[in-house]
Amino acid sequence: MNTLIDELKQLIIKVLDLEDVTPADIDPQAPLFGDGLGLDSIDALELGVAIQKRYHITLDATSVETRRHFYSLANLAKFITARQAS
Amino acid sequence: MSAADQIGVFSGHRSQHSATQHKVVAYTGDGELLAGDFYARVAGIARHLRQRPEQRWALVCDDTFWFAVGFLALVQARKTLIFPQASGPANVAEAQAAAVLTDQPTRFSSFVSLDVAAITASGTPVGTDLDDELLIELYTSGSTGRPKRVDKLLGQLRAEVAALEVQWGQTLGDAVVLATVPHHHLYGLLFRVLWPLWAGRSFYAPTCAQAFEFNAAARRFGRCLMVSSPAFLTRVTDFGSLQPQDAFRAVFSSGAPLPETTAAKIANESGHAAIEVYGSTETGGIAWRKWEPEVGQTPWQSFAGVEIAAPENTPGFLRVRSPWTWRADWVETGDLGQALPQRRFLLCGRADSVLKVEDKRVSLAEMEQRLVAHEFVSEACLLILKGKRSSVGAVAVLSPAGRRQLQQVGAQKVRKLLMEMLRAWYEPVLVPRKWRFVEELPGNAMGKIEMARLQALFTERG
Repeated sequence: MNTLIDELKQLIIKVLDLEDVTPADIDPQAPLFGDGLGLDSIDALELGVAIQKRYHITLDATSVETRRHFYSLANLAKFITARQAS
Repeated sequence: MSAADQIGVFSGHRSQHSATQHKVVAYTGDGELLAGDFYARVAGIARHLRQRPEQRWALVCDDTFWFAVGFLALVQARKTLIFPQASGPANVAEAQAAAVLTDQPTRFSSFVSLDVAAITASGTPVGTDLDDELLIELYTSGSTGRPKRVDKLLGQLRAEVAALEVQWGQTLGDAVVLATVPHHHLYGLLFRVLWPLWAGRSFYAPTCAQAFEFNAAARRFGRCLMVSSPAFLTRVTDFGSLQPQDAFRAVFSSGAPLPETTAAKIANESGHAAIEVYGSTETGGIAWRKWEPEVGQTPWQSFAGVEIAAPENTPGFLRVRSPWTWRADWVETGDLGQALPQRRFLLCGRADSVLKVEDKRVSLAEMEQRLVAHEFVSEACLLILKGKRSSVGAVAVLSPAGRRQLQQVGAQKVRKLLMEMLRAWYEPVLVPRKWRFVEELPGNAMGKIEMARLQALFTERG
């Protein structure tokens, strides 16, 4: 799980082209949007697309579930792990 | 029986029939809200509002269901409705609202406010006769340093959704309205809230953030339509994987023209061409088009009742007069257009300095003023950065206080602080993502800022 979280940090920084953000700056428990890392709705879309491509998985969730899965890096890692297992 | 007769909470029809009380107005994440409950809540809040002395009310709700309830309650209570530029307290203060109707009472604790969700529904609905002369104020980015106020009458909004229903009602039938755009800008207000309310269609209250959410919604509802924008649609990788495919009756797109490749992709993979709508806060809906193969640039077809004025042989200023522009006067769109026969026309780019970032209007002059107002900034110049996504880039000269702060805490923290300040005013997509702190703005001998050198500050670092 820790490897996955580290991978996701790299993915977020690279895909979303975040300047002056290092992996150490991203707290896995902190919100990705708003007050935390400050990502926006376009970042959310880019991230969703990048994850499906990188991990060869098809994501499927309701709006309520998506909000939970994309809340933090830790949640996202859990979501991806569950999709990979199924 | 038309859809409008079945419910018509925004059509002015009295809908006391028992069957209509059980019709679904909105679907939430996991439940549904019936017309009977909806009416009762609207009536309860309207009654409450009538006893309040404040006339000018800002409506700021994060949840689309509460937004719809709040809208109708304010309308029934004959209050002036205000839609600030964004959803923060700073925006509400700037729009000079006397009070706020909201589902986020803690965010507006320093205002006179009313919690839309806290009022217990009471008694039977009062009359649904609506005052078409009621004033609605919308705030949007202009080309100056101040947000631009656009006035509408309630009757104009009603006329516009009625026209949409004439145009597409039959195609859409009882499809559930799914949306990726916010409800507080005119496009979302009309397409995801007022049109469904008027026509008796159900809307899905959550905003879809990912394309894959459509599949779960389509399985749940069986038939649906999308209210979306190029920023979203250009990032959907595979329209063919939307399942079940026959559940999607239409995809609407507005905010900017869809790139040709995206329009073709949607048509080829989903089997339906997206319906693009051209309009603005000032003008309302002007025209629509559906991508056609091998046409080159597909012309726009103006809506019935909308008059267009543009040169025929060469691109020129495009002007519009429609029943839903203020006083039905001619309005400059700020776009260049070329008129074609049969009330069709081509769009040929922008004529004024209003800019868009991912379909959202932004005034850089206004944002620069807000930055310079901060104690850490003495000069600022903003620009649009193009790339995989468009975004705002900020070049700033720090004040002595700002420079001291920079030395103490570092550039990352200063940047974060300024971003947080701007986030209070703007939607997240518009907040600058890249920052350059410089000793002085790059100017020429005439003192004019050189945009090419500003751009270079961002490309040099890659």
